[in-house]
Amino acid sequence: MSSATDHAEESNYLNAKPGLMSWLTTLDHKRIGVMYLISILTAFFIAGMLAMLVRTELLTPGRTIVDPDTYNQFFTLHGAIMVFMFIIPGIPAALGNFVLPLMLGAKDVAFPRLNLMSWYLWVFGGVFAVVSMVTGAVDTGWTFYTPYSTDTSTSVINMTLGVFILGFASIFTGINFVVTIHKLRPAGMTWWRMPLMLWGLYATAIIQVLATPVIGITMLLLIAERTLGVGIFDPALGGDPLLYQHFFWFYSHPAVYIMILPAMGVISELISVHSRKTIFGYQAIALSSVAIAAFSFIVWGHHMFTAMSPMANMVFSALTFSVSIPSAVKTFNWLATLYRGHIRLNTPMLYALSFLFLFGIGGLTGLFLGTLAVDVHLHDTYFVVAHFHYVMFGGTVIAFLGGLHHWWPKMFGRMYNEGLAKLACFLIFIGFNITFMSQFIMGSLGMPRRYYDYIDAYGSYHVWSSIGAYIMAVGFFLTAGYLIHSLIAGKKAVENPWGAATLEWRTASPPIEHNFHETPDANYPYDYSVNRFNPDTGNYDHIGAPAQEDDDRAVGFHGHGLESTT
Amino acid sequence: MTASGDGPDPFTVIRSQSGPDRDQVNPPGTGTLGFAVLLASLSVLFVASVAGYLYVRINASQWPPAGMPGLPMSLWLSTAVLLGCSVFIHRALKAIQKDDQKGLRRNLQWTLVLGSLFLVLQTLNYVGLAQSNLTAKTNLYGFTFYLLTGLHAAHVIGGLIPLIIVTHRARRGRYSSFFHPGVTYSAMYWHFLDGAWVVLFAVLLIGS
Ligand code: HEM
Ligand SMILES: [Cu+2]
Repeated sequence: MSSATDHAEESNYLNAKPGLMSWLTTLDHKRIGVMYLISILTAFFIAGMLAMLVRTELLTPGRTIVDPDTYNQFFTLHGAIMVFMFIIPGIPAALGNFVLPLMLGAKDVAFPRLNLMSWYLWVFGGVFAVVSMVTGAVDTGWTFYTPYSTDTSTSVINMTLGVFILGFASIFTGINFVVTIHKLRPAGMTWWRMPLMLWGLYATAIIQVLATPVIGITMLLLIAERTLGVGIFDPALGGDPLLYQHFFWFYSHPAVYIMILPAMGVISELISVHSRKTIFGYQAIALSSVAIAAFSFIVWGHHMFTAMSPMANMVFSALTFSVSIPSAVKTFNWLATLYRGHIRLNTPMLYALSFLFLFGIGGLTGLFLGTLAVDVHLHDTYFVVAHFHYVMFGGTVIAFLGGLHHWWPKMFGRMYNEGLAKLACFLIFIGFNITFMSQFIMGSLGMPRRYYDYIDAYGSYHVWSSIGAYIMAVGFFLTAGYLIHSLIAGKKAVENPWGAATLEWRTASPPIEHNFHETPDANYPYDYSVNRFNPDTGNYDHIGAPAQEDDDRAVGFHGHGLESTT
Repeated sequence: MTASGDGPDPFTVIRSQSGPDRDQVNPPGTGTLGFAVLLASLSVLFVASVAGYLYVRINASQWPPAGMPGLPMSLWLSTAVLLGCSVFIHRALKAIQKDDQKGLRRNLQWTLVLGSLFLVLQTLNYVGLAQSNLTAKTNLYGFTFYLLTGLHAAHVIGGLIPLIIVTHRARRGRYSSFFHPGVTYSAMYWHFLDGAWVVLFAVLLIGS
């Protein structure tokens, strides 16, 4: 790459084809990843603004800026857009699409057309969801619980149809990733030499494929109930609202692992690369992803403890506890990786450390909620709201931001302003804790979730919570500012600025259109001896693995792992 | 996997965007695996609906509710017809594996005929039930029946359209023992439809 100065710069995937149409018809996974990135960030912006409106309304008891009905619509749209349009597709479809084939040394995913179709479905589903904002926005809460959702006059059908379509976008991504990982691993990359990001995406893809159809049928049933007036869920018509909740959570609990598993994959990469140390407990981390995926299907009942029989409750409570074991396995392995590593406190690493802290709190408070006796008190309070924000925001969004900063130089070939990035990370971290720590406290004191009004005793907690939210907003606007600025005026990125050993760093930044001039041969993804830092260019040049290490690492060179079983 | 004849084909090769460099040839079996994963996903749709049906059924005191017609006997006929589809599509696949073009065409055509016949029979079933005053709006008994069978019928329609295209291609001699992904996928899909129906029908029978 260093010789690129004397002749005209090589074209890359961003500039190889000009014009909007070349983007809208592209089959290139990198471009689709970027289009997904722009789309989900748009959704994040809309839903984030709605959150600001919710927090502003809650600054004072009673009316602050809007009436109660509008307030219900604000928090419903906030939740539904965040969950279905941002967090679920977030890491897999945006970052995953970009890095997955690169990490495999491949030219693309197995089914590029399906990939593009997934993006169009996202847009299509998103349009339905957003149209529902102007045609009497839903006010049911993001869970669309019946019977209220069959009775309310707001545009439930638009939103649920949107969710239905978004589900297919998610399934298509899942199919693509499962098949690509099975079939397109390069020579030398057995399952046990696959980057942990890919293990995360693989486990996620399995859940996407096997759980998402359930939300599809649930949304269809809800629509049928509203249009036909038969009550499979409505008790007034002989139905059972609990059935809706079973259906909904049978998808939506696994869906929280669609959100967190890829985040854990990102964190595994960030922690190892930026502490310059091979990952500790590779197999344990890889297998725990699969274990989490399997467990995720059998714990949905913990969302309904206050509605089911004692026996069912006990079973679901015990199962819920067992889910935390693989999560803990991962966390301890990450800590062991950090231990005595050469930690670089740059932005990706700061996000990774924030993740460990925040996700730790989120997971541990999940255990409180999984405990029956405690949950009866905490159910439907702000404690639950704080819990899931610690795991979804403190976990997934923070990991997404860390991954975005980690792969930004690769995606766009530019470096961002490190000082501003650290400042923004700090603002988001502080703002986040102020916002949701106060919600833990007021929740345990009994403040119910989704209420418009509250007694004065909760006043100061709500004010703090809103202040924290504004601080976060400043952090996010700052992030948007320096990232966009970097596209125009950022320092050019070298091929491998972090010294990572996964394959996506073995091509230009940004990559050429077909990814690699020659398919790179896979080394163990956390063997950092394959790189040597070049002080002249700031790049970590690939020098290949030292000979004696090849013997034990090349086990299974001919095997494609599980290939023979397919 | 290569024996299934779904090796490199236009479906799994990325069409060139910028010359030969972007062409990626997927290894054999990629299309089949992708299709199998898709079917796994679709089967969850049926499993969830069956679970919903069972939930409603178990909570019901009387099934079918008083004055409601039982399952139409002609469902047995539909079942036989659908099983026939499976047989013919299987024979079509065996034929093309032996490069028997005539056998391929004949068996595909029979699959098409029986598949369409199945839809006609289901429609007649619906009409009959509607005449005895059972529609999807009547009660949960009607709703779940139409839900399960309707979901399946929608998948049959979704299978007939590609089957028409595959039959058309077979007529023009596009397939060979080396290359017949369309036939492979069709066979997988119709076996899936068949399996799903047998399960649905069994559940409906046991339910009532
Ligand atoms: C150790 C792991 C976890 C445990 C034991 C756990 C446990 C629970 C329990 C018992 C509830 C129900 C509380 C109630 O409604 O009374 C709950 C709610 C929730 N959890 Fe978790 N959880 C865990 C991890 C996660 C993760 C990783 C996510 C997402 C990334 C997540 C997202 C949610 C959401 C969204 C809700 C509330 C949904 C709603 O009612 O609106 N949880 N959790
Ligand atoms: Cu859950």
